[in-house]
Amino acid sequence: MTERNYTTVNPCVMCQPMGSVMAFKGIESSMVLMHGSQGCSTYMRLHLSHHFREPVDIASTSLSERGAVYGGSENLKKGLRNVMLRYHPKVIGVTTTCLAETIGDDVGRILTEFREEDKNADGVHIISVSTPSYEDDHTTGFIKAVDAIVRHFTEYGMGNDIFNNKLNVVLGENIAPEDTRELKRMLEATIGPRSFIFMPDTSETFDAPMTGKVEKIFPGGTPLSEIAYMKNCAASIGLGITSDNRAVDHLETKYKVPAKRVPMPIGLEYSDRIMSVLSEIAGCEIPETYRKERGRLIDAMVDVHKYLYGTRVAIYGDPEMVLGMLSLSLENGMYPVLVAPSCKTPAFRKHAQERIDAMNLDCDVKIFEGLDFDAFNDVVREAEPEILIGNSNGKYISQQTGVPLIRVGFPIHDRVGAQRILMMGYRGAMNMLDRITNTILETKDIELEKKWLQNKNTDLQESCCGLKSAHMQPH
Amino acid sequence: MPEIKNFVTTLEERQPYIALKQKVKGETLLACDNTSIAGAMSQRACVYSGARVALNPVTDAVHLVHGPIGCASYTWDIRGSRSSGKETYRTSFSTDMKGIDVVFGGEKKLSRAIDELVELYKPPVVFVYSTCIVGIIGDDLEAVCKAASEKNGIPVISVKSEGFKGTKSDGYKAACEALKVLIGTKEGNIRSPYRINLIGEFNVAGDVWLVKPLFEEMRIQVVTSLTGDSTAQSISECHTAQLNLVQCTGSMTTLAKWMKEEYGIPFRKVSYFGIEDLSTALRETAEFFGSEEMNQKAEEIIARETAKIMPDIRRIRSRLEGKRAAIYMGGAAKALTLIKGFRELGMEVVIIGTQTGKKDDYLQISYEVKDGTVIVDDANPLELAELLVKQKADLMVAGVKERFLAYKTGVAFCDFNHDRVVEFEGFEGFLNFAREMDSSINSPVWKAAKSNIKDSVDNQAIKAEKVPGTHIENVQEDVVIIGGMEA
Repeated sequence: MTERNYTTVNPCVMCQPMGSVMAFKGIESSMVLMHGSQGCSTYMRLHLSHHFREPVDIASTSLSERGAVYGGSENLKKGLRNVMLRYHPKVIGVTTTCLAETIGDDVGRILTEFREEDKNADGVHIISVSTPSYEDDHTTGFIKAVDAIVRHFTEYGMGNDIFNNKLNVVLGENIAPEDTRELKRMLEATIGPRSFIFMPDTSETFDAPMTGKVEKIFPGGTPLSEIAYMKNCAASIGLGITSDNRAVDHLETKYKVPAKRVPMPIGLEYSDRIMSVLSEIAGCEIPETYRKERGRLIDAMVDVHKYLYGTRVAIYGDPEMVLGMLSLSLENGMYPVLVAPSCKTPAFRKHAQERIDAMNLDCDVKIFEGLDFDAFNDVVREAEPEILIGNSNGKYISQQTGVPLIRVGFPIHDRVGAQRILMMGYRGAMNMLDRITNTILETKDIELEKKWLQNKNTDLQESCCGLKSAHMQPH
Repeated sequence: MPEIKNFVTTLEERQPYIALKQKVKGETLLACDNTSIAGAMSQRACVYSGARVALNPVTDAVHLVHGPIGCASYTWDIRGSRSSGKETYRTSFSTDMKGIDVVFGGEKKLSRAIDELVELYKPPVVFVYSTCIVGIIGDDLEAVCKAASEKNGIPVISVKSEGFKGTKSDGYKAACEALKVLIGTKEGNIRSPYRINLIGEFNVAGDVWLVKPLFEEMRIQVVTSLTGDSTAQSISECHTAQLNLVQCTGSMTTLAKWMKEEYGIPFRKVSYFGIEDLSTALRETAEFFGSEEMNQKAEEIIARETAKIMPDIRRIRSRLEGKRAAIYMGGAAKALTLIKGFRELGMEVVIIGTQTGKKDDYLQISYEVKDGTVIVDDANPLELAELLVKQKADLMVAGVKERFLAYKTGVAFCDFNHDRVVEFEGFEGFLNFAREMDSSINSPVWKAAKSNIKDSVDNQAIKAEKVPGTHIENVQEDVVIIGGMEA
């Protein structure tokens, strides 16, 4: 690997505010006001729009030199007023940037002042999250914002304290709208419709149906009234196991809502885990539909096992997704020679190793956390995978090495359908198996064609030579 | 335009930035060239972004972003400009500043970062972009870059692009300042008595490769194009040109003015988009050099190339006649040339706006558009959406952020910025543009976008009714629908 100590070349991570935006976009009637210079919001809008192929509005306090010198209070208040005037949101997420953090704005104090000064602010939930870009990364920004939202609605005297028999399901990492829809279907089938609170829910906000009119804020997202009742729920499930799920932990310590942590249900094993947890919580059998779906998945696994066994695969991207894809690869006999989550998390290595050790692998598995793509490129060349699985930023490596890339995760900027990629549950696993296997088959087809063509060419050449020599014979 | 106020619902403070062109005496005065209003959801980016888009196409340079990771992450290879040589500019370099750098300063890390990259990539030049927090913690970039230049023996140039210190336009200026350091540092390689630079040309989708050959056919040497497909070498030689053609005037006029003062090189504002503007550019250049032979050559090229594309243009034009276009561009130069381009395709402009237009730009725009056109500065999504509907636009030309806004209102869209992969400049490029207009506006999906299930099924039911022997007259409506579906 090329030694670099002071630079990041082709980054795998984004900054904290990005994660925060993704969380706020998954709750009802919410807008984000980014406290910083104008560019931050615009760049994130671009990035999100490219991926989800939807308009994404993120307001900015447009801090200028004046604001940087005298403090951003004036801009922040004006920004809040203008967002309220134009968008009429029920929630405004104020997320900070490195600029706001470095000039030392006390956002909490400014917001208290604003609430006192502006009576219109009474009807709006203003939730601030501290997300300096020079600390951590987008995955922590997501966790922080989800936590801030849950704390806000549970702590400020909203809702009652009457026990409800619902289940909290709290994401530990942003997932695709299609996966959100699949998870909600699984929840509806096991514990029943309206028996769970899914947080955050971007299934409608990042994948809004065309209605012919532009919505200021897309309908959908986790209803605010429900978030307030999360403290009264019977239990919580934190989806994702590599980092702390702060919201779920908070609900457990403060409101004694018992929490279970499960991995993202990617592949058979992890899907089984969530289904059994859900059926246990609901006190019911796993529904017939899902038993059939599971059966079909295993059918699919058997169908493709010969193509997948021993296939060397490199997996990269956000940690929960990578862990899930690792699990799926392992249970199908693939060799995950390279596993590279975008950022370092407390528990990724432990869980990954657990799954790896459970298999009798005939290859080395290398785990690298928090590499940039340049370093990843080097290890890819060493590990020689046959397939890459990860976001579209791996396309350069794929183009250079000729190793096919299966696009999953965020961001995917160069292909359509990112919002509809189904990865979770039994159906998600089937979808991934189909995609992986078909990619392998396509590559093999081309290779075989080449091989046969080569043989043909040699045959042809031989026969041509024969003809030629016959023709050349003197009369 | 004091007559009609509040043409769209927006913030009171935003009203002066939106005007309707009408038949009244006097000029259309539009507020512009100010920093964006907090919370108004501007489509603009920051100073850094201005510097980044203007400089990034320099192909063999290391573009090092001194700041936290985000700034480099979101701008990794988003420019869409093509290179005929090195691809270093498509790699994203960052010092990835952390909390500790913010507290203790990032100068040491930056200095080591430059050394490291110079050793690994051996670039002829390094551009170091400053970001917001660098401006706050007070890293002395200039000093670090100067020391690094001396140590490494290559120009290491600081780009003063702290995000909050102004608007995107100030970023363009910072980029021009950085280019000035390189210009004139090498002897030129003179191959023709006639030499020009194409300034403000970024080679998006390979535009310049359709333009440069036209000049070369006129025996003109194109020393460099700034900054699309340029190299450190070609930039350092560009003072040997006798004429600068400036296309993206918003970003690079400052540089052309400076070259006029410094090297006595005059400049002309041109555009290579659309038959009219492109022909003018070729003619004006020939005229400048005063060679009769070159004049004739220019006319020959114009006649030949126009004849080549006109049959297709005419056919496509008949499919576009009378369609209404909305333009929302970063700079005014592109907006202005688009007005003419649309005219050549028989289309009319009903909305026109820019992110960074100046007073003079908007005056010129107001002369070019017809009455009833809305002119807007630093628009936001809600204004644009309302305008698209009110002005009954068929198509919008803009960048990625506006694309899905247009789609959601059922309006066709064309990307004129970083994201396009087909050339729009040159004669062939204009044909590409016409084709894209056709495929954008005349696609049947827009009919589907305005339909609902009931309508389309009912239509089929009516068809089914006409088939003899079907008995659907007396059944309930919902049954008719089902029958229709089966039919």
